[in-house]
Amino acid sequence: MTMELFAVFLGSSIRLAMPLLLAAVGELVSERAGVLNMSLEGMMLAGAFGGAVGSWATGSPTLGLFIGVLTALPVAALQAFLTNTLRANQIVTGIGLNILVLGSTTLAYREIFGARSREAIPGFPVWSPPLLGDIPIFGEAVFRQIWLVYAAIVIVVAIALILRCTAIGITLKAAGEDPRTLERAGLSVIRVRYGVILFTGLLAALAGTFLSIGDIHTFTEGMTNGAGYLAIAAVIFGNWGVGRTVLACFVFGSATALQFQLPAMGLDVPNALLIMMPYLLAFLAVAGVVGRQTAPRALASPYWG
Amino acid sequence: MNARTLVSPGLAIPVLAAVAACLAGTLLVLALGFSLGDALSSFVDGTIGSHYALAVSLNRSVVYALVGLGFILANRAGLTNVGGEGQIAMGGMVAAAVALHHGVAALPFGLAFLLPLSAATLAGAAWGGLAGVLKARVGTNEVISTLLLSFIAVWLVYGSVQSVALLRQPMTSGATLPESLPVPDATQLPLLTGDAASPVTIGLPLAVVLAIGMAILLTRSRFGFQLRAVGLNPVAATRAGFAFASTVVVAMAIAGAFGGLAGGVMLLGEQFSLKAGFSSGYGYDGLVVGLLARGSVTGVVAAALLFGFLRSGGISMEMGAGVPTALVMVMQGLIVVAVAGAAFWLDRRGSRS
Repeated sequence: MTMELFAVFLGSSIRLAMPLLLAAVGELVSERAGVLNMSLEGMMLAGAFGGAVGSWATGSPTLGLFIGVLTALPVAALQAFLTNTLRANQIVTGIGLNILVLGSTTLAYREIFGARSREAIPGFPVWSPPLLGDIPIFGEAVFRQIWLVYAAIVIVVAIALILRCTAIGITLKAAGEDPRTLERAGLSVIRVRYGVILFTGLLAALAGTFLSIGDIHTFTEGMTNGAGYLAIAAVIFGNWGVGRTVLACFVFGSATALQFQLPAMGLDVPNALLIMMPYLLAFLAVAGVVGRQTAPRALASPYWG
Repeated sequence: MNARTLVSPGLAIPVLAAVAACLAGTLLVLALGFSLGDALSSFVDGTIGSHYALAVSLNRSVVYALVGLGFILANRAGLTNVGGEGQIAMGGMVAAAVALHHGVAALPFGLAFLLPLSAATLAGAAWGGLAGVLKARVGTNEVISTLLLSFIAVWLVYGSVQSVALLRQPMTSGATLPESLPVPDATQLPLLTGDAASPVTIGLPLAVVLAIGMAILLTRSRFGFQLRAVGLNPVAATRAGFAFASTVVVAMAIAGAFGGLAGGVMLLGEQFSLKAGFSSGYGYDGLVVGLLARGSVTGVVAAALLFGFLRSGGISMEMGAGVPTALVMVMQGLIVVAVAGAAFWLDRRGSRS
């Protein structure tokens, strides 16, 4: 691989990993507190849809981003209500919400765009940070990204610090490991869990808008295409730690980037194998092949108080 | 006796949810500005309007019913099999591979289709059983493992029809589609009527027999009791002499076998050649059917028929009246969310008071 190709590969790996990263770190926060959001896929799709429609209607990708968040939050709120107030099965309701969002966004997309589908939608411009952008070969290919990429890095670092060093981090851990103790300490498990699910919805919405107005500047029906499930796989592969989850997202992003790079390099690796690799890696991880997995003890079990 | 005990919530909730979803669907058709008359007449055309439409809807219901039956069996042991999609994919792929294998089409006594169908069932059983083994030995949550296995299986199918060395048909030109050769006539499932205008396959009687068998197994057999014991309280079940590990593995393998069989029925009964994504959505629809049934075989049959006809009608509405099939998805999503939200809460309340 030449330097130039490697730089392009690195740049596209980062670009492809970012939506996964935002969604996975958001999901990690929920899972630390004992909630499994299978609806992550639906939240992302709602965000992608709201972002695209908002950006198209207002002409401003920034407003689109806000509208994307506003579209995804009701999905998260519904998931939170089902999970916490109704104590419903988190997995089943999550899958139901995904079907509902896929159906609704497809319907609404056809209704709004109709025959004008594939219309270009205003998206975020790419931008190179000073100094980093001037590095030869790599500057252009790796660091010329939309600002959301840099924002995502800041968000992830902030979340890592909050989880590790603050009382919020300990509260979330308690909600996921031993909710009764949290309740005895005078905090409401249900409130904490409402909070984390809405937070996951926020980050999933950012991830979704990244896909629609950050990356390809259009919306297609069901465009998340399993990215939400992949983000959940990244959390599992990451063994519920921020560092390893981030690593998993980059591995998954690189695997996707390789699909486009390998043919350019004349290597004949089956496409299916590369697409499958993230799922295969996650599967090996949950199968206990790469060390013991330690999920939060109360993960996916409703709290009855 | 109060009003609450008159109507069992177990039955009332799915029925209410289905009725509410149909109402919501109707309102959506109107809100989107389609003609309700056109939509309804296309819906009827696509479901019971002709022998052909009826047969296609029934075949679809058979697939849902098979996946749903497997789901409730595993669910009896407290397991949630969300891997129907992957089990169908494996079943279909193996059925195609066996049916296309040299000499299989020439087998006598119906073995030409029974052999690929059995292979499909075994493939599904292996795929489901794998999740069971992980659950029993490592404690891996079966929801996560079956979901991941589904993605893997779907891409395995994709890979298998990309390469001529595997199942792709010989490339005669650049336009050769990435799909397998059609399976030979002898390996295709016989039609009940023998008439291609009404292509109900023997999958229908097979599913009926399996449904009756499942009802007996779950309510009248020792194994059914064992499943329930493990599902309700694994510790107590182990004390009572039921092996937790083997029960989990067997339950997941049977659930997977039903999914694999469904894949085999799809491939040998209507698809005939293996295409990437041929299982698309069937497994998740089957999961929803199993979920709606709330553990009862009758429920599976009812939900499978509902969804089979709903899907067929939905497709016909798109072609005939321009109503997107996504409308049916919205209805399905509403049903799942409503049933899972309401029923689980009622169950737990009931068992806690």
